[in-house]
Amino acid sequence: MTTTPGTQGSASGADPFDLHDVPWTAVSPRLATARLLVLGVWAVVLLVPTVALAAALDVAWLWAVPAVLAAALLWGALLVHRQVRALRYAERDDDLLIRRGIMFRSLVVVPYGRMQFVDVSSGPLARRLGIATVQLHTAAPGTDATIPGLPPTEAARLRDRLASRGEARLAGL
Amino acid sequence: MSTALRPVPESAGEEGYDWRRLHPVTPALRGWKALVAFVAIIGFQMSDVLRDVADTLGPGRAWLVILGVVLLVGVVGFVYSALAWRVMRFAVTDGAVHLRTGLLFRQQRQARLDRLQAVDVVQPLLARLLGLAQLNLEVAGGAGSAVQLAFLRESEATALRAQILALAAGVGPQAAVAVPSGPVTDGDAASPAAAQDHPGAVAAAPVYAAAPERQVYELPMPRLIRSILWSVPPWFVLVAVVVAVVVSIAAGDIGGMFVLIPAVLGAGGYVWGRINTGATFRAAASPDGIRLRHGLTETRTQTVPPGRVQAVRLSQGPLWRRNDWWKVEINVAGYGADAEAQKGSVLHPVATRAEAGVALWLVLPDLGVDDPACMLDAALTGLDGDGGFTPAPRSARWVDPLSRRRHGVLVTRTALVMRSGRWWRSVVVVPHERTQSIALEQGPLQRRLHLASFVTHSTPGPVSPRVDHLDQHVAAELLELQSRRARQARAVAGPELWMRAAAAPIGDAGQVAGAQPPQAVAPVPGEPRT
Repeated sequence: MTTTPGTQGSASGADPFDLHDVPWTAVSPRLATARLLVLGVWAVVLLVPTVALAAALDVAWLWAVPAVLAAALLWGALLVHRQVRALRYAERDDDLLIRRGIMFRSLVVVPYGRMQFVDVSSGPLARRLGIATVQLHTAAPGTDATIPGLPPTEAARLRDRLASRGEARLAGL
Repeated sequence: MSTALRPVPESAGEEGYDWRRLHPVTPALRGWKALVAFVAIIGFQMSDVLRDVADTLGPGRAWLVILGVVLLVGVVGFVYSALAWRVMRFAVTDGAVHLRTGLLFRQQRQARLDRLQAVDVVQPLLARLLGLAQLNLEVAGGAGSAVQLAFLRESEATALRAQILALAAGVGPQAAVAVPSGPVTDGDAASPAAAQDHPGAVAAAPVYAAAPERQVYELPMPRLIRSILWSVPPWFVLVAVVVAVVVSIAAGDIGGMFVLIPAVLGAGGYVWGRINTGATFRAAASPDGIRLRHGLTETRTQTVPPGRVQAVRLSQGPLWRRNDWWKVEINVAGYGADAEAQKGSVLHPVATRAEAGVALWLVLPDLGVDDPACMLDAALTGLDGDGGFTPAPRSARWVDPLSRRRHGVLVTRTALVMRSGRWWRSVVVVPHERTQSIALEQGPLQRRLHLASFVTHSTPGPVSPRVDHLDQHVAAELLELQSRRARQARAVAGPELWMRAAAAPIGDAGQVAGAQPPQAVAPVPGEPRT
């Protein structure tokens, strides 16, 4: 692993992704649980047949397939917590900021006036864990403004707030 | 099945609209299309089945059956189209264009005029021969959101376009008469359209004057042909042909030549597509925005109102460098990103540098710098810090050794200019008020080198603005400042009804009428720009 953990908290001017005096809000840690569960399902789906195949055929190199998969899954599992911790958002007066990623980092600024609509979605697993996803859509398909892992009340609040702010600052295209 | 227009549940007021029908030839044109599609699908997809049928029936009877089926499909298609035509109506009101369609599944579509992104008059070959045209009203709703009025008589289509543009601009029929008299008289080559206007009654069939326009450039056919020759696909095919011929001669087997057929067909299609869309390409400036005319068999007249262009890109491949040709493309929210829509996204297929400047000026009359020509040169061919650009730092050579010196960004008073590409040069200009959202991206290598990429998101289209490998602090500062700048620019941006603005846009329109190359255009005074 070549990266150092995200420098959240250490409000250093050295990190360009830490815009000064922006109060970042972290998403719910339950998102990590959800992602780990999904990874677990994948582990079962991928590992069981490959292991069975390797065992049945008794070819030595076939074991490499589940081994590589297991390593990848393990690495993913180790990263999940840090990725979720790195996922943050901030509401400013005129725009919403979302930052994510540790190795490939991105910071998106979405002006409220540019918002076309807001989606709040929550799958069965997410509902059980009590989290929801808020997604902002602008007229640009490239805008990737998704905040997963929000508690439903926070998601609803954010949605209403975004909608009202969007209306107040509404602009055409 | 009742063919009468039975209204779907709706407010009573809509019955009072002036509902109009499309041209009666429409079903014939549409039914014919359905028949061709049917024959093509059956012919290509089910030829085996057809052969079996022919074998069992015997040749004579098989032809009769095929003819009968084709005739039946033709009649059914025609009858369906005729019925669909009977229920299809449209109405233009002050605020919107309404369209009712659908025989079995009724659909009522309403396109708000203040959300209008572009108005196109399209004439496919057959319609053109019959003097008909199709009017496309593009709104920013993604694929398939356009209101298509097909087909109308050509004169009717142009009159309707003038009416819709006048309404969308916020001028009534009376005011429409007044507007041309202002800016037009100072422009020397006013369109004769100004002469035919006389104020009509608002309700019945008001006469709206088409806004005057003035041609600013035209693409000569020889240049188009040469530009196609100087592009990669023909050369690629030529090389492929030579290689295949040599190989098959050496191997003594001409079977390999058949591999070339798709390649040659593909290249032929590409060349034809380029010629067909680029032929007779003309651009004009008018108070209603940019007007583009092009097409050989299928002609297209586009009108993109002011402020509807979201981003511009000027690009040049290595083969065009010798002639200094540039392709100018635009993002317009209504056109979307699919192949058919891309036809509308070209502002100039092959521009000389001067024309590229004019094309850019069409979109953005004020580039927000004191010396636009000098800035344009720096953007098109400059390296490093030429023309005040902020270049990528030296450390970027580790991630992009070849075109590092071309990566650069310049913030002007009105737009963001992004420069990239050493061999495939590209310059993207995004007006500040058209920025949708912006982002900063950084990969592991970039992080090591303290670099970051700055991205602005634009509506679907050929242009995706980004600058790679800036110094990370420069990029972060740019992000911060750009979000502020975009906000301020939006606050002072013109209204959606572009003629409704007080004095300033009319002044702009006056400037448009007297089109000049960008060097001669002074920044518009008296307009609040930040």
